[in-house]
This record gives sequence, structure tokens and C-alpha cells, in this order.
Amino acid sequence: MFYPRWIVNLAKGPAVLRRKVASRGKAASPTARLFARSLAIRHLDAGSCNGCESELSLLGSPVYDLSRFGFSFTPSPRHADLLLITGVVTDAMVPLIRATYEAMPDPKLVVAAGACAIDGCVFRGAPGVVGNLQDIVPVDRWIPGCPPSPDALLDGLLALVGRAADPAGEAS
Amino acid sequence: MQKTQEAADVSLIAACEQAAQEGNRVLDVFPAEDAVRVAVWEKVAGAITEVDVGAGPHPRPSRHGFPSLRFAEEQDFLPGTFEAAAADLEVIGHGMHVMPLGPVRADVAEALRYELDALGDEIHGLTLRRGYKHRGVADRMRGLDAAQALEVAERVTGTSTVAHALAFSLAVEDALGVAADQELSVMRSALAELERLHSHLGDLAALAASTGTVVAAADLYRLREAVLRLGARWTGHRYLRGAIAPGGWRRGLADIRGELPAVLENVEAQFIAVRRALDHTNSFLDRLHGAGRIPAGPLDLVGVVGRSAGVREDVRWDRPYAAYPELCHRRHMPGYAAGDAFGRYYVRCEEVLQSIAMLRRAGGTGCEFTSMPVLSEDGIGHGLVESPRGRLFYRVELRSGQVLSCRIRTASSINWVAVPLAVPNHNILQDFPIIDASFNLSVASLDL
Repeated sequence: MFYPRWIVNLAKGPAVLRRKVASRGKAASPTARLFARSLAIRHLDAGSCNGCESELSLLGSPVYDLSRFGFSFTPSPRHADLLLITGVVTDAMVPLIRATYEAMPDPKLVVAAGACAIDGCVFRGAPGVVGNLQDIVPVDRWIPGCPPSPDALLDGLLALVGRAADPAGEAS
Repeated sequence: MQKTQEAADVSLIAACEQAAQEGNRVLDVFPAEDAVRVAVWEKVAGAITEVDVGAGPHPRPSRHGFPSLRFAEEQDFLPGTFEAAAADLEVIGHGMHVMPLGPVRADVAEALRYELDALGDEIHGLTLRRGYKHRGVADRMRGLDAAQALEVAERVTGTSTVAHALAFSLAVEDALGVAADQELSVMRSALAELERLHSHLGDLAALAASTGTVVAAADLYRLREAVLRLGARWTGHRYLRGAIAPGGWRRGLADIRGELPAVLENVEAQFIAVRRALDHTNSFLDRLHGAGRIPAGPLDLVGVVGRSAGVREDVRWDRPYAAYPELCHRRHMPGYAAGDAFGRYYVRCEEVLQSIAMLRRAGGTGCEFTSMPVLSEDGIGHGLVESPRGRLFYRVELRSGQVLSCRIRTASSINWVAVPLAVPNHNILQDFPIIDASFNLSVASLDL
């Protein structure tokens, strides 16, 4: 069916969507920008207290409804665009974090969610706790909170891909 | 045909045993053999001496006692040795394969590795490999003062924050010989019930989601969010962290007496409606009845899992703490005998309503911040509370105000042992997510 905007939309994408995506904020990186409208998230628990998992599971609830942004959780790293890591990083999980990251197709993003994933929180310095994710995989965004609330998680993800204003500016 | 296959398998086992003794891989001896199958045989050859090939086309698994899941006792567990911490449940036979799951698994799940021994769809064995999340909680607490150790205790299990904080506080109070006053006790119980409410709602939502009843799951998650937000308005934290302390409060609590009755009434009415709908949904009930039944045996089960399997035990009744002597009545303790997924669903539903009733009686008064007393004494104290998942025990030893040692025995570390028994009990692979969700035990408090 022909309509007046047809040629423009064909060339640039639908105007409504173009406006929506462009006006909110700046993506953390050109790679992050690629996932603005479709993001498959693989969650990885690297030694959390299950508080972060509890909040992540609420992202799918109708209150937050992750899927309305085109975001979804995926069971397989092979389908994932983003690796979301929670918990203090334990020695036992280091090779598994690397393996999961390597199993993901390029381009890919990493988000560290929760105080534990950022610096180990109260477990920093405990035996078997690495507490530093940066040496293992490159982290694109840190989402603080103990645990980060679902709206903090959503905000962090949206800001990463450039769909929410990011007062902090650049990641980390 | 059967006989020939059996003979071939016996010779394969013998070859595996010989190869294992000589330090060779079985695949070097039998290069054409299926790798997964050989892995099973290698496991068999390396792990047991008595070989049971089984009889008939569907050989039954040989069981060597109960699986010995290793518990997180202090010196028993070293980080990195998790591969050795497997259950002693060996399953052998024709066509048996291992379906590995985890530690990176499902959509959002804690790190734990399940190895399901399956024959087609039938599950015949389950080995749990744990230790991925070992954070050294007990080691971390050593040498900290009570206030710092409390921070660690609150982060042992996120969904049982109040239970851990309360057990630790009771242990410290016990060590120092002080007792909490009535008002403090009532509010501690109220916080504990609020936590039980949101934890059970989350568990029920996960169960509903696992059976594909997504509308019920959405409703239950929504109710849970309402309860979490109520907790945030009361204590300033969705998971009620940073409120409970030995002898007082770590922060002032807002007065929510005005809104508490309305929120509770709303949650209760909607929960009853969701439950009624689920109780009339055959596709939901059919998946629960008989699924993941815990076999009768000398198991020490606690909490919801225990009460759904005929173990009538609840710390709130048996050894009342805080304000539970006034809040509990024995005739109301919910229980179920079958020990299947439906029993766990039923007990959780009853406890949700019970927690709402207790919260109504306890109220939501505000309070002032009371600075924690500076502790500089010696003593050993015990704290025993009923966490949302069951009995939680703390033993804290203080030396001049510092934690010398802290032993934690969580409900999940006790109840996980029932999972490798309940999952293979005449269930198929499609039942596994439902059984897993019906237990919904915490891995964080298993690995500690």
C-alpha cells in the first residue's frame, strides 16, 4: 500500500521510531547502539546472594515488562547480545565467565550489575573471591545497587543502548 | 540381541576398568564408541566396584544409598574443589545418558550444575555439583566486629535477609545475655513475616511460570512487587536490609500503620483470587500432583519442604522467638503429607495467608534509630529462626566484641539433599523445571 511517507521511511526507517530512538540519549558506544531495539540478555551468576536474581526475575513481570523495549532473556549464550553478570566473582566462576563470553557472537556487551559484581561488596578480600571483573571480561556498564532495583537495571540497560538519558555520561 | 548387548557392555566395563587402572582414556581403547556413553562408563568404572548392568530392556538404576551432598561446614569445604563434591548416586544401563545443566542455565538462575541421568525422557538419577558460589562467608566474618559481621550475614541470602540478620542478632544477644524488649520483638516478627510473604509470592510465581500459567505468574509477581515496595517505604530497602541489629535498630523505620491494612487487604484479596484460579486449572494441578515426590527415608527436612512431606516442624511454633508466642497458634500450622510439588505449593499458599494475618496483628509501627551498643565482651550465642525456606541456625562466638567464629546452618543446605531423591522419582525431563521451581531452594545459602 502506498502512503506519502513511504519513500522516506524506506530510505531512513519509520519516522516515528527514528524520532523515538534518536531523541532519548547517547549510546555508550557504537556497538551498544546496534542493540537499541533488540537485546538478548544472558544472565550469569558469579556468586550472588540471589537478591540480584530476585530483582532480575521481576524485570519480566508486568510492572517492569522488559519485553516492551525489545529486550529479552535468552537461555543460550549463542543467542545473546549482552552478558549480565551478578555476584562477587568467585575463583570457580572465572573460567566459566570467560567461556560464556567467548561463546557469545560478536558484537557483544557486558554489564556488571550489583555492588558485588562491581567490587565484591562486603565479600571483598574473602578467600576465593576475585572481586574484579575488569581483568576477566571488558565491562561496558556498571549498574550499582545492593541489589539494584528493577528500575535501576532497566535504566542502566536503556542508557547503555542509548534509549535513556545518561546523566553519568560515559560508562563506569 | 539383548544378551549380546549386555555381554558387550560387561566387556566394555571391564575394558574401562582396565583403562582407568592404566591411566588411559576409554576413547583411546574404543575410538568408535559414543563419547557421551563412554563418559558414563568411565564414571562407572572409576567410581564403583560393584557392576550392575540391569535386566530387561529398561534397566533400573542401581542406587548406592542416599546421595551425600557435601555441606558447607567450616573446614569441610575448600574453594575450587567443587568437582569432587558430587552425590554418590551412580546410574548405569543401556541407553543411559547424562544431561548436563548449568552452572550457566535457564533465563535467570543461580549457579549450580545439575547432571541428569536420563533414559529417553525418564530421569533416573541426578547429581548436583556445587561450590561455584562459595564466597567464604564464615571466613569473611572472622575478626569483624558485630556491626560489620551483620552486614555480611544480611548478604548470605538476599531473599532471607531479615532471617539472617535476626538469627545473627539473636545469637549476639544470647552471647551477651541481653534480651530484646516486647516492642522490638513484635516489629522483628513483622519484618520476618513481610519477608516470608514476598519470598513465598516469588516462589509461587516461579512455580506458575514453570508450568506455563503465565497469567498467574504475572499476577503473583505483581503482588510481590507491591509487598517489596511496602517494605521499601517501611525500612528504606526493598529487601529490608539495614534495619535489624543486635539490641535495637540500625535505622529509623517509617510509620506505615496508615497504609498497611489497605495494602495487605489488597494483596490478600488478589492472592485468593489467583489461588482460586490456579486451584481450578487442571493443566496446572496435573503437573504438580505426584511430581517430585520425596521418598520416605531418614531425611532431616525443614521448612516448607519438610512441612509438605509430613514433617511438622516450624521454629516459630517449636521454639518461639521474637513475638511468635503471641502470633502463633499450633492449630494453624499448615502441613501436607505427600511431599510432592503440589504439597509444596499448598503449604506456601497457606503460609502466605498466615503471614498476612500475622502482619495484621503485628502492625507496622515506626521507630527511632537506636545506636548499636559498642560490644567488647566474650561469649558464645545461638540464634534459631524460621527463615522463609525453613530453619536457620547461627552460632556466633565473640571475643572482645569481635566475631571469633560464626557457624551457619541454612535451611537450603539441609533441604538440597532431598532434590536428587525427588527428581528421579518416576519423573520425566519435562517435569524437572517444575520440580526445581517447587523446591526453589537457594544456592547461595548452600555454597555459603
